[in-house]
Amino acid sequence: MKMISIKKSDWADAMKKVQESYALAGPVKDKGGHTFRELEKEEVPDLDYKETKMSPKEVVMPKTEVMFTYTLDTKKEGHHILEEVPFDKTPRAAVGIRPYDAKAIEILKKNFDTEDYKDPYFLNKYENLTLVGLAENNPLKVNFSTSCGTGPFDESCLDIILAESGDEYIGKVLTEKGEKFAAAAGFAEGDSGIESKIEELKKAAESKIKSSVSFDKIKKMTVLDLYEAPFWEEVGFACINCGTCTYACPTCWCFDIQDEAKGAEGVRTRNWDTCMSEVYSVHTTGHDPRHEDWQRTRNRFMHKLKYYLDKYEDGIMCVGCGRCVNQCPVNIDIRKVCQQMNDYEPSK
Amino acid sequence: MSDFEPKIITFLCNWCSYGAADLAGVSRFQYPPSMRIIRVPCSGRVSPKMILSAFRNGADGVWVSGCHPGDCHYISGNYYARRKFAVLNEMFEYVGLEKDRLHFSWISSAEGVKFADVAKEVIDKVTKLGPAKHFIKKLPEVA
Amino acid sequence: MNYYTDKIKEISKKILSDGKVDTVFGFRKGSLGYMSEPFMAKTAQAADKLVFDCNCRMNLVNYVTNRTGKIGIVVKGCDSRNLVTHIVENKIKRDQLYIIGVPCTGLADKDALLEAAEGEIDSVEDDGETVTVKGEGFEKKLSKKDILQSNCRTCIKRNPVIYDELVGEEVPELEIENRFEDVEKVETMSSDERWDFFNDLLSECTRCYACRNACPLCYCPTCFVDESRPQWVGKGDNETDVMTYHYLRAFHDAGRCTDCGACEAACPMGIKMRYFTRKTIKDCVEKYGFETGMNLEQRPALDQYKVNDPDEFIK
Repeated sequence: MKMISIKKSDWADAMKKVQESYALAGPVKDKGGHTFRELEKEEVPDLDYKETKMSPKEVVMPKTEVMFTYTLDTKKEGHHILEEVPFDKTPRAAVGIRPYDAKAIEILKKNFDTEDYKDPYFLNKYENLTLVGLAENNPLKVNFSTSCGTGPFDESCLDIILAESGDEYIGKVLTEKGEKFAAAAGFAEGDSGIESKIEELKKAAESKIKSSVSFDKIKKMTVLDLYEAPFWEEVGFACINCGTCTYACPTCWCFDIQDEAKGAEGVRTRNWDTCMSEVYSVHTTGHDPRHEDWQRTRNRFMHKLKYYLDKYEDGIMCVGCGRCVNQCPVNIDIRKVCQQMNDYEPSK
Repeated sequence: MSDFEPKIITFLCNWCSYGAADLAGVSRFQYPPSMRIIRVPCSGRVSPKMILSAFRNGADGVWVSGCHPGDCHYISGNYYARRKFAVLNEMFEYVGLEKDRLHFSWISSAEGVKFADVAKEVIDKVTKLGPAKHFIKKLPEVA
Repeated sequence: MNYYTDKIKEISKKILSDGKVDTVFGFRKGSLGYMSEPFMAKTAQAADKLVFDCNCRMNLVNYVTNRTGKIGIVVKGCDSRNLVTHIVENKIKRDQLYIIGVPCTGLADKDALLEAAEGEIDSVEDDGETVTVKGEGFEKKLSKKDILQSNCRTCIKRNPVIYDELVGEEVPELEIENRFEDVEKVETMSSDERWDFFNDLLSECTRCYACRNACPLCYCPTCFVDESRPQWVGKGDNETDVMTYHYLRAFHDAGRCTDCGACEAACPMGIKMRYFTRKTIKDCVEKYGFETGMNLEQRPALDQYKVNDPDEFIK
């Protein structure tokens, strides 16, 4: 494993150099905070950030994505034929992504890369993406990533991990993709002491995390027991069924396919969807199995904390970033709900 | 720009304004052919959704016309419309859309002359503004 | 306004034990120090969790729509006017409600609290005129006037207009210098400046619909954004679609909005979409002398007419 380091003062130049061969996405200052987005040439990812309201999910799953286009205008070439969107093979890199947000991308992949179906739109974005992570030395109070199978220094889903240490970033190259990126950016080779330094920073960061969730008992309960638990109406009362939690969440993967047409032209787009929406479960007959608001709220928590847990046997569908807790207008806390589910004792 | 012909979506109430348009036609009163007329039962039926929809689809102007207050075929439809249009008109200019793109009038079915005159005025004002710049819905593009 | 909490608990426990109501809608402490969670107390014991302070930004009338059964509800001035509109619009019956009125001294703006804090906030205490923000290693006293939520600065009715019981003495109403200063600021801009202003305002919108869902007036069984034949507005993040959505939503609330601020408080991206609805309120006040929800005999502004309504803009 290669150790690397780069002085903060050299960061901008390194990024400009790497942009010759990679299209970058990263955090930049925006309206009083930071936002994680695709960057123009010459824009440098700002690693001096605390959090971004929206997760980096857009690098693999954009808010609105065109799937194909068509024209019915007989005067145009290729009319009445679906025109697939050409896939951009330019190498891309998400620089400054938090390790648990990178884990979230792996969770998303479980949905889009299955035995039965490999989603070309997601996989194209995923395959040419290099994840250059920035570990979090000072996780926020709402962060509970360590109990979700990841953490502020989790290397498992990154190609490079960087950590802030004084006036430089020290790091480790973890994969071949990472090596290519490090070479393109001209990261200096670091000394062998870096590995233990990162380990030290990791322990310090993880000890700062005081918030946690437990789901060991959830695994043992049956779906029906949890589904029919009496606390859902109370949990779901405050919920206004907006899409804030689903859109802020880096692991939520629901989408809605819409065709939009104007005159003789049309596109098929894939947009983010939210299971909170009134029309989420409406059938074409008009029947809605989740017509009450609290039923949809229940569905979301059951999906994240039970159905996913049972189906993939890889922990819960949550990386503990805390964005939903911070942004929920009515302060519904997934940690509280997880605890309520875990503590529930179904009456025999 | 001198050969710019605007597209003006025109909502005419069936009982009065549409009759006026008919009368203007039968009497051969002249006005430019920029109106795309939509007949509605009452001016009160016209909702802001429709007006915005016209602009989204590329209309350069919208004109809504109904019966004079007090003469509505449905008694009070145009009274409600009047309040609705007042608020809509203010909001329209407030968000930065040009005031002269949205017009309202009360024209009775006997006022063929007025119809032609107002039509000329509306077309004139919209032509001066040029093609619509804002509020046009473009299809999502390939990233 | 923490001093109202005990009285609210007392009243709620009483009406729940008496059977006057089946449930009381109020707030309980949130997991975050600067937030509160709308809460439904079904028993006197549960009513012990109720609180009320400057963090209670949601409008509880939103939860009352189309409910059956007897409901106790905690409302401030602006919320009570929404209750009046709800009753007039047949979304709830007056005799179903036991209205616990709160004379409100104003809500604290969430972003102002976060900015003033010197770290992560553990708790916020509100004693009417001052707000104490505590966190790890800091405690700051702020004057409520400085961190007042934007809609509270131009509040025209702090005391509830309809109630069964008040939790305290009525507070004096505000003396507002220029009620529609924010709207007038936009009205001085040129047409192109306004267009840029609004597009910039809405650039962060993710179409989560928190604003719509937090609003008590937005109760349509099928919202216009979900209508598909025809489709009035697209579902993606196209800027014309975002503008259409906010514009039409403000229009549907025209003449009914009480400026409770729940929409802005709910927005996760901090968008100030009240610029749209404030304009409709200004128009209804200036053109029709109309204030929403002041009494049960009055129908909403666009649902009534006078024979001599102004119409100089109509040819």
